[in-house]
Amino acid sequence: MSQFEPDMIGPERNASDAELDALFAAARAPNETDAGAAERFLAGHRARLAQTQATQVQAIAAPAPRPLWVNRTLVTALASAAVIAGISVLRPTLMPADLPASAAYAVYQDALGEGW
Amino acid sequence: MRRVLLLGLLFVGTAQATDADDLAAALKKARQWTARGQVEVSVFFPPRTTPTRTTNALPAVPFRPALLARNFTVTRGDSEAVAGRPSTRFDLTPKQGAAARWSLWIDREWNVPLAFEERMPDGTLARRAAFLKVNGALARVPVQAVPPVVGLSAVLKAALPGLRLPAGFTPVAAKARAEGQGGTEITLSDGVNVLALIVAPRNVRPAVGVASVRVAGSGGVRFVWLVGNLPDAALKTALANVRQVDEAGLGTFAAPVDAGR
Repeated sequence: MSQFEPDMIGPERNASDAELDALFAAARAPNETDAGAAERFLAGHRARLAQTQATQVQAIAAPAPRPLWVNRTLVTALASAAVIAGISVLRPTLMPADLPASAAYAVYQDALGEGW
Repeated sequence: MRRVLLLGLLFVGTAQATDADDLAAALKKARQWTARGQVEVSVFFPPRTTPTRTTNALPAVPFRPALLARNFTVTRGDSEAVAGRPSTRFDLTPKQGAAARWSLWIDREWNVPLAFEERMPDGTLARRAAFLKVNGALARVPVQAVPPVVGLSAVLKAALPGLRLPAGFTPVAAKARAEGQGGTEITLSDGVNVLALIVAPRNVRPAVGVASVRVAGSGGVRFVWLVGNLPDAALKTALANVRQVDEAGLGTFAAPVDAGR
């Protein structure tokens, strides 16, 4: 025994099949809308792929950015080195040069008494 | 035996006192009278281009009899002739420290010096002055008033804490340096040798007989020099513990002075 009543499903079933077949046929046939969607998808895919590759190239070419405290320390060290170098260069002009030993002997000569 | 020994010691002591007294008498007379003639003067310290020259009188030696008696052993030496005149040699040997030793030749008739000689502790000649020819009579020396310097030792001690004066030396004079130089000059004496102690705004290069140290002064960095005929180690030791200078007290002695003792 069939589980469907033949009188009830015969004509209705034929109509639905036709509609479905038409729908499937329309869906299988590519149209302009489908082509545009494919193009948009492919363009976006290529763009995402190119961006990913560019990011990887940048990551290889340039190291990861230093932490802020490292940059500050580096700047401070360089500034200190510059100051020390400047002082080293300018110090001879800031501090008067030592007097020759004759300056000391002249004072001693005065203390010796006249005639020497 | 003990009596002989005691008499011997007494004789030696008396002899040394007599030698010192005889020399003191000659130096006292030399303040008023001096021989004239031709004198050869040689100076090897401080070093100079031409160490020997000729003049007509002995150079001045700032003897200070009291310090001399305290710091030196005076010994009468042999009789020797200087410029053809009989003289007696007196040797001055420092009782302590590394100061230079001296020999003086005293005219036996006139009782004034005819020659001086200063030798370094190792025997090297530092200075010598001796008559080559002597005139027939003594000449009068103008008397120079010597103002006493009171309290200079205490002032120097306060001005330069940590200063260790070489054995036998004491400050006898102080004066301000020339305006362009700045600072103060202090003369130290042991009775016959002198040292120059200088507080200056600039340092001096080290050399034989020259030591210096950088110190803190009220107006900034100052330098202390010590110059004289002493071994370098003795000069450096004297300044080793000096860290600062207070020149305010030394300003009291700014006028040129030279005191005898």
